[in-house]
Amino acid sequence: MSTPTTTPLRRLAVASTVTCSQQATVYGKCILATYTDVKKDACKEEFAKFGACLREAMKRKW
Amino acid sequence: MFARVGSRLLTRLSRRSQCQTRLLASISSSSSFSPTSVGPFQVFDRNAKVLQKDRAATLSGGERSRTVDYVRDEIADMLIERFLDIKKNFNSILDLGSGPGHVSRLLETSMTKRVIMLDSSQRTLKRDIDEQFEVEVERIHADEENLLDVIPRNSQEAIVSCLSLHWVNDLPGALVQIKEALQPDGVFLGALFGGETLFELRTALQLAEVEREGGISPHVSPMTDSRDMSNLLGRAGFTLLTVDVDEIRVNYPSMWELMDDLRDMGESNAVVGRRHLIHRDTLAAASAIYKELHGNPDGTIPATFQVIYVIGWKPAPNQPKPLGRGTGQTNLKDIL
Repeated sequence: MSTPTTTPLRRLAVASTVTCSQQATVYGKCILATYTDVKKDACKEEFAKFGACLREAMKRKW
Repeated sequence: MFARVGSRLLTRLSRRSQCQTRLLASISSSSSFSPTSVGPFQVFDRNAKVLQKDRAATLSGGERSRTVDYVRDEIADMLIERFLDIKKNFNSILDLGSGPGHVSRLLETSMTKRVIMLDSSQRTLKRDIDEQFEVEVERIHADEENLLDVIPRNSQEAIVSCLSLHWVNDLPGALVQIKEALQPDGVFLGALFGGETLFELRTALQLAEVEREGGISPHVSPMTDSRDMSNLLGRAGFTLLTVDVDEIRVNYPSMWELMDDLRDMGESNAVVGRRHLIHRDTLAAASAIYKELHGNPDGTIPATFQVIYVIGWKPAPNQPKPLGRGTGQTNLKDIL
């Protein structure tokens, strides 16, 4: 079994909470502002930046 | 029971779409339940739950599972506190859904001579088999949903259940079976997760799914609430009911550690018709939302575990009964 630091999920965890924490906060704040009436892609732009940072940190595309 | 009904509706819908795509009357699912025999109370995939628990209990030789005992141990402690209020010496107690023995290991010889541990996951049941308990222990590997298959009617003096009834499909039926298994004047003492449990995780995942994918699916189980519990206990035929609610908040560094711990507890999602994977964008979005919506000022995130404690007695002719209305001799005004 691989160690916790190397599993893809673990790396995603680090990427989303440490490496891209700034973009995550911007996205979270956007949801917070609209959470009583959330629609699909309500925070698309904010997530695009967050997602780009995640892909950069994970060094892969999905 | 609104939450339960809601989810049942969800599972019904998903089953219908299954029927449309599969025209032959064949069961191709590897899971043990067949779509043809799913009753109205089928909310959870019991087979998957047993597999999850078995796996959790054996990971790293049980070490991972022991690390995450904190919630169950804390609640077992509170349950024992309530148990101590019952001034009665028992010969035997049945620990229903015992796990490795969170409640059983706290029992003392002054409370009972022996304890029967019953759990549907064999590996969880035997995780701490080498540990010495203060009272004599017997372990039975059986399904909590079919209690009366292994436990004779009118045979138990007391039944305790600590955090296992939230995975039972037919909760009203399970309570009736518990009452049937008890001797007259026997007591049932239970702790089960209430509807507020993990509401932060539930809402974060829902918001993330709506915003990213445009729909929601069940990730956190429907759970009962305290009003339902008193109704259900009454309906099952228990008397002298006591129901109270408590909340435990645990702080985690982030949503990821919470999900890791839930998995190690064997508490992963087992709702019928659940999605087997979540898109990583959705997961990352949920983590960000969780932190912003519910996070603590210090950057950690809280998770709420709401616990409903219930006590009920099986009726017996010689049991003390509440006095009739208007029979009080002391005026409350004089005391207050």
